[in-house]
Amino acid sequence: MTDYSKKRFLVIDDQPQARDALRTVAQTLGAFTVEFASNYQDAIYRIRNNSPDIILCDYMLGEGRSGQQLLEELRRFKLLQDETIFMMVTGEQSYEQVVSAVELVPDDYIIKPFSPDKLLLRLDRIVAKKNFFADYYQEKRKEEYARAIALLEKKRNSEAGRPYRFEILRQQAEVLLASGDSTAAETAYRGILESHDFPWARAGVARALHKQNRLTEARQEIDRAITSTPHFFDAADLKATICMAQGEHAEAQKILDEVAKKTPRNFLRKRLLAEAATLNGDSEVARTVMAEVIAGDTMPGAVSTEDRLALARSHVNAGDKISGERVLVGMREAEVQNLNLAEQASFAALLAICSPEKGKPRFAGLRPALLASDLGTTARLDVMRAALSVTDNELADLHAEQLMAGPEAKKTFSSIRNQYALHGREKDIREIQKQVALKRIRHEEAAPATGD
Amino acid sequence: MHRLLDILASGIHDTKNQLFSAESRIAASEAKHQIDLSEVRYAIESAANRLSRTLAAYQLMRHGARLAIVPSIVADLCAEVALVQQHHLANTGITLNIDCQALDDWPLDRDLVTDMLNNAVQNAGRVARREIRLSAIEQGDELILRVEDDGPGFSTIPPTVGTGLIVAEKLAALHRRQNRQGSLHLSNGGPLGGACFELRLP
Repeated sequence: MTDYSKKRFLVIDDQPQARDALRTVAQTLGAFTVEFASNYQDAIYRIRNNSPDIILCDYMLGEGRSGQQLLEELRRFKLLQDETIFMMVTGEQSYEQVVSAVELVPDDYIIKPFSPDKLLLRLDRIVAKKNFFADYYQEKRKEEYARAIALLEKKRNSEAGRPYRFEILRQQAEVLLASGDSTAAETAYRGILESHDFPWARAGVARALHKQNRLTEARQEIDRAITSTPHFFDAADLKATICMAQGEHAEAQKILDEVAKKTPRNFLRKRLLAEAATLNGDSEVARTVMAEVIAGDTMPGAVSTEDRLALARSHVNAGDKISGERVLVGMREAEVQNLNLAEQASFAALLAICSPEKGKPRFAGLRPALLASDLGTTARLDVMRAALSVTDNELADLHAEQLMAGPEAKKTFSSIRNQYALHGREKDIREIQKQVALKRIRHEEAAPATGD
Repeated sequence: MHRLLDILASGIHDTKNQLFSAESRIAASEAKHQIDLSEVRYAIESAANRLSRTLAAYQLMRHGARLAIVPSIVADLCAEVALVQQHHLANTGITLNIDCQALDDWPLDRDLVTDMLNNAVQNAGRVARREIRLSAIEQGDELILRVEDDGPGFSTIPPTVGTGLIVAEKLAALHRRQNRQGSLHLSNGGPLGGACFELRLP
């Protein structure tokens, strides 16, 4: 049995009475240090400053926040090491539905009321599991994926691994996906589905297929996951992402809009909604939502350069160049100096559109780099657009062609066509499209491609 | 849409929170004064379980239930039933023995199955003379969970079943894997000579 007297506990609950109850339980286990957090922000602050060993978190945190959202955010910012115990506490049977569906789960959950003995039993179990996986956690953290996978394989075949068969398979699939081997990840998730139709494994298949750009199949799989578990919101995010990749931006926006209403303080989802709205040409929604993200996502370091560029972009789309310029010019000097090439490209391109006087020289200065370098999709779109507006057709056509030849062609096609139409160059973009298609056919004749 | 259900669920949720507060205070007093109030805590937990079970039954009968299937360690599940029941049964002179031979984790609705076993052990506790046995084995592609006692057994076979068992039967059948589904079997005359409650899960 573990000695809990030396462990640091953090109890997260917005109800004072429930907090006291949880503290009492922890103290009955011999816990000496029990800290409290009464809300979401406070919890993050405490975990960031001095990570506890054991977190007891209530599922309902008030103010439209849930313990599940906290867990997701902690993982997103890598504030929660695999060694830390995260136990969800809930009076709701409905949390079981959540935990059985989602991809990101706590170490365990416990339903109120429960005795100190029961919590002890559960904690001992988690400690045993974490000991079993300890060496694997280390390799995973170092991103030594091959070694992590080898360790899991060894555990899978061991007698001691029998109670953890599914956990091992799940970890294997996740690590394969993280390592970039989406074909092997797909196989791993499909293997799990043969045992039981877990929604998270179904979503895993969809995720792996999306990475392989097999969009039609990915869409079918994620639809199956959502039909069986409508409250699985991450699956809705994934579906929207797949819809965008397929060029179905209206559908993506509709899905995200519905889910975002149910989770008003999930800012990752709001960013995705802004992206969908942008692609869908709904610039008013995009800029309202991006403004909410920047004002509301108070997690330190959460609002990124990319977010500010997205806000500026949404103003530009809405035809409000003055607000766009204000956002760009308002970025801190240090931030602007530290931009990577793709961000520099977007910054210069958007500024050139908002304020030709300030932006054009910077954009012109970057031109050689923009002609020679491989930018991301978003930056390419910005550059293409600015190039069109300063009638640099060579630069615009280059990026349009590369976007249409790239893996995100369906996602960006309507944006490209609209921009060319805006500058009276519909015929030119059709010609570029034709050339890209011809090249692809020639390429496929040489080596048959997979995917759609 | 399910407004009545929401009202019931939220009322039960609040009640369980209050019961948890009461239970934790009792546990603290036990630790502080070195006294045993486990029967009080047992009563509180039974009341809370009863509330949850009633809500689950209502939901199942009115709206159809959706299981929450998670991979569960069978030995842990048995240990939890023992933790809740063993002490209480010992106070009435009945021994609860656990015999878990299922070593793999198993996809099942953990809280529902635990509750069904707790309920079966509680029922057995009313008629058992000295012993109840909870056992788990993997047989072919099924997990078999059994609660047996040394009492007089069911008076008729098949026994006349109440609402609780009808709900249990339905919940067992909701456990599906490929084309197989769970089932509930009630019989007399196991190794202990009394009633046998058997839950088979695919």
